[in-house]
Amino acid sequence: MPVFVEDPAQFSKPRLKSELIAHNVTLPAVESKKQVYVELYLKHIVQKSAADFSSDEEDDDVVEVQDSQDFEEEKDPEMLDPSVLTDEELKTTLLKYGVEAGPIVATTRSIYERKLQRLLKPAQPRQNGGTGDADQYSDSEGDEESVSQQGSPETVSLMEENLHVDIRFESRIPLSSSGPEIKRGNNRSNNQGPRPRPYWQEVATVDKYTMTNRSLFVTPKTSLFKRQIKEPVTDVLMEMFPETEPTPTGIAATRRRPIKGAAGRPVQFKYPDLPASPMTLQRWAVEHRLVPLWVQILVFFIVACLLYLIYAAMEDSLANPFVTLLDNLSMETETEGLSLQAEP
Amino acid sequence: MSSTSQKHKEFVAEPMGEKLVNALAGIGEVLGKRLEEKGFDKAYVVLGQFLVPKKDEELFRDWLKDTCGANVKQQGDCYGCLREWCDSFL
Repeated sequence: MPVFVEDPAQFSKPRLKSELIAHNVTLPAVESKKQVYVELYLKHIVQKSAADFSSDEEDDDVVEVQDSQDFEEEKDPEMLDPSVLTDEELKTTLLKYGVEAGPIVATTRSIYERKLQRLLKPAQPRQNGGTGDADQYSDSEGDEESVSQQGSPETVSLMEENLHVDIRFESRIPLSSSGPEIKRGNNRSNNQGPRPRPYWQEVATVDKYTMTNRSLFVTPKTSLFKRQIKEPVTDVLMEMFPETEPTPTGIAATRRRPIKGAAGRPVQFKYPDLPASPMTLQRWAVEHRLVPLWVQILVFFIVACLLYLIYAAMEDSLANPFVTLLDNLSMETETEGLSLQAEP
Repeated sequence: MSSTSQKHKEFVAEPMGEKLVNALAGIGEVLGKRLEEKGFDKAYVVLGQFLVPKKDEELFRDWLKDTCGANVKQQGDCYGCLREWCDSFL
């Protein structure tokens, strides 16, 4: 064992555990922090090796441990359990995954914990027996990492992950049954916090798959596609079908996307990642007019009548229409006068 | 991109001041009540919750879903509303 690597704070927790077991030291409680393991390790194991190594080394180790206590660098995630991590550890772990976290306070801690859990998920097998899910998530994580390496902003990479998630959820067979199932699996594995899952979580999960996500993904999608155009063709194909593993000869069998509106699949699930077609855009424009249709027609007719009256007034300057108008009026007054006279 | 709702336009048109959470796009009566129960009684408190994760969409949506059970559309409306408000006034 090399001497110069004797920094127990840099060991992972399982490593510390095994070392303690090897030296017949009783382990602390399972949920205890790594620091406890480090202390025990130092206490027992460093004492044992004190005979072999000089006391200077021991002092160095102690000093080093105290230094590393301040920033607590870790190589592996803390037992894959974000709730055990301190705020600092959580932040650094998220940073390792390329997620630039904001301040971790009471209200945001649960958010970041959940995010870390989602990032750690590919390392753990899913409860739903969805090995395909694990592959897909790991692929999305790979895509996310590669994208973040290209220097794209974090939100775009997150959007991309969402895109992949959406594509995958589409290409699966009956969405109504598998969708909430997957989401519940998420909920179950996320249930580490003290918060209970309220009843409306079930309803919300169904809603997720019945709502169109189209409006949200238009802007980042264009940037995503612009980036792809510069890349070679094979990347586009891999992008479209991320769940297939690359074979030496190229992509093997690929699952075809469901046809629009066919076989009982609602039209909403067509191709959310493609930009909206001109027809759909027009349809939306028609549906979302500011002024109602009937009001527009009414206004049109009023304007038409006004124009006709103006035209009638202007036609032949003042001659015929006014003369006939005056005649009519005089006739009416005459008849009125006669009728008044007739009936006293 | 679907056009924005009337509520969205009204919210984004002026500083939110002391507006209630119901004024946010995507937050109706039911969701507004749930948010108020959790302590988010004014729109600016939700704004705070939007700003702390550095305006990150996914985190904010997750938080919204977890806090009041908003579905994807409501999350999107609320996020878009707050983001546009921030672009104009922040």
